[in-house]
Amino acid sequence: MEYWFQRILLNTKRTIIILLMTSTQLAYSSEPTKPDANNIDTEYFDAGISLGILNIEDFGSEFTAGVNLTFNATENFFMQMNYLQANADESSFELSQGNLFSGGDRNFKHYDFLVGYNLFQGEHFFSEGKANLSSLYVVAGVGDTEFGGEGSFTYTTGIGYQFAIQRSVIIRLDFRDYIYKTNIIGEDKTTHNTQLGLGISYLF
Amino acid sequence: MTTLIFSAVTNAQELPLNLKVIDPYIELHSGPGAGYPTFYTIEQGEDVTVLTRRTGWYEVKAQNGKIGWAVASQVARTLLPTGEPVDLPSVSYGDYLKNSWRAGFKMGRFNDGGLEGSDVFSFSLGYRPLSWLGMEIEDGKIYKSEIKGNFQAINLLFEPFSQWKVSPVLTVGTGKIEIESQPELTPLEFDKESFTSFGLSANYYLGRNFVLKAGYQSYIVSTNTDNERLAQWNIGFNAFF
Repeated sequence: MEYWFQRILLNTKRTIIILLMTSTQLAYSSEPTKPDANNIDTEYFDAGISLGILNIEDFGSEFTAGVNLTFNATENFFMQMNYLQANADESSFELSQGNLFSGGDRNFKHYDFLVGYNLFQGEHFFSEGKANLSSLYVVAGVGDTEFGGEGSFTYTTGIGYQFAIQRSVIIRLDFRDYIYKTNIIGEDKTTHNTQLGLGISYLF
Repeated sequence: MTTLIFSAVTNAQELPLNLKVIDPYIELHSGPGAGYPTFYTIEQGEDVTVLTRRTGWYEVKAQNGKIGWAVASQVARTLLPTGEPVDLPSVSYGDYLKNSWRAGFKMGRFNDGGLEGSDVFSFSLGYRPLSWLGMEIEDGKIYKSEIKGNFQAINLLFEPFSQWKVSPVLTVGTGKIEIESQPELTPLEFDKESFTSFGLSANYYLGRNFVLKAGYQSYIVSTNTDNERLAQWNIGFNAFF
C-alpha cells in the first residue's frame, strides 16, 4: 500500500516538474531576443501583365492582353498561372459567308497552369559593372479555353526569355502554343493557337 | 521614393541578421543559381549580413560591403552572435512541410466508369498543419468531346513518410460534381451529384518546396438510383510556400 502511495506521489511530482520546465521554456522562447531568420525579405513570387498577338486558328491574328502570377519554386523550376483574353474579328470565311457565332462567344478567354524550367541562366550588362539576371526558359501545362461557345481542355507549351531591368522588375518575351480540340467549323480537329507576348512583372 | 521610405521603415523595424561563418569559406555567386560565377569568398570567422532570400539562395553582404548570393545549405552552417547555430528555415525536408501553404495543379484522365476517356485538370490550395497531414480544396474541370463538367472537393492528405524523397500519399475526399453534355446528345447517369473519393499517389520532391505528384483516384458518385464508380489517373505539380 505504502509503495503505491509513494509511486503516485513521485509520479505527480515528476509531472509538475516537467510542466514547470516546459512553461518556463515557453516563456523564455517567446521573448524576442534575437533577429529572426523568418523575417528575412523573400523574393519568391512575381506578378505581371502582358500584351501580345494571338493567332486563333481559322480566325485572325488578334491583339491580346493577359495577367500572370509566378512562383519561383526552385532555382530551376517555377510555376505560373496565366489568364488572357482576345476579341476575334471576322475571319475571311465569315466575311463572305456570315458569322459563325456572335456576342460573347467571340471573346477568346484562356487560363492555364504551367510549370517552367530555366534552361540557360545568365546575366545582362546594360552598363559596365551593372549586371542583371536573365534566363531562357521553357514552359508546359494545361488549362481551359473558352471560344465560340465551347470550353476546351488545352495543352500549353512555350519558350520564353526573361531579363531583369531592375532588381525587382522583369521583362518577359514569350512564345506560346495553345493546343486544343474543337469543332467550331464543323468537324473535330486539333488546333494550334500561337501567341507572341511581351510582359512586365514585379518580383516580391 | 516610396521604395526609399518603405526600406527605411522596414530597417527601423527589423534588426539585420548578422552571422559568423564557420565553414572554411562561403562562396558568393553573382546570381541565385549554381551556374552564376563565384566572384568572392568570405572566409571562416568573418561576419555576413543576410539581405534577402530566394528559393535555395540567400543574398548576403560581406564585412567589406561585397554583396552576392550564397547557397542556403552553406548559410545554414553559420553562427548567430550568441554562438548558436543558425539553422535557417528551408534547410531540411521537414521544415517546410509543417505549417506551410501549398498551391498546385494536376491533369489526368478518367479510365473507368461513365466518364471514361474524359480529360480532367484541377487546381488546389492547401495547408499542412502537421508534417504528415495536409488538407486542400480542389476545383477542377472535366472535358470530353460531348461532355463538360466541373467538380469541387475538400481532401485530406496523409503522408506518413514525408522525409523520403519519394513518399506515398493517401487522399480521402468529398465534394460535388456537375456534368452537362455539351450539345445535349449523350444522356448520362447523373448530372449534379455529391461524391466521396479515395486515392493513392506518390510525391517526388524535385526541390525543397517543389513536388511532382502522380497517382490514382477512385470516385464513388451517389446518384438517385445507385452508386456510379469513376477512376482517374493523374499527374501534377505542387509548390510549398
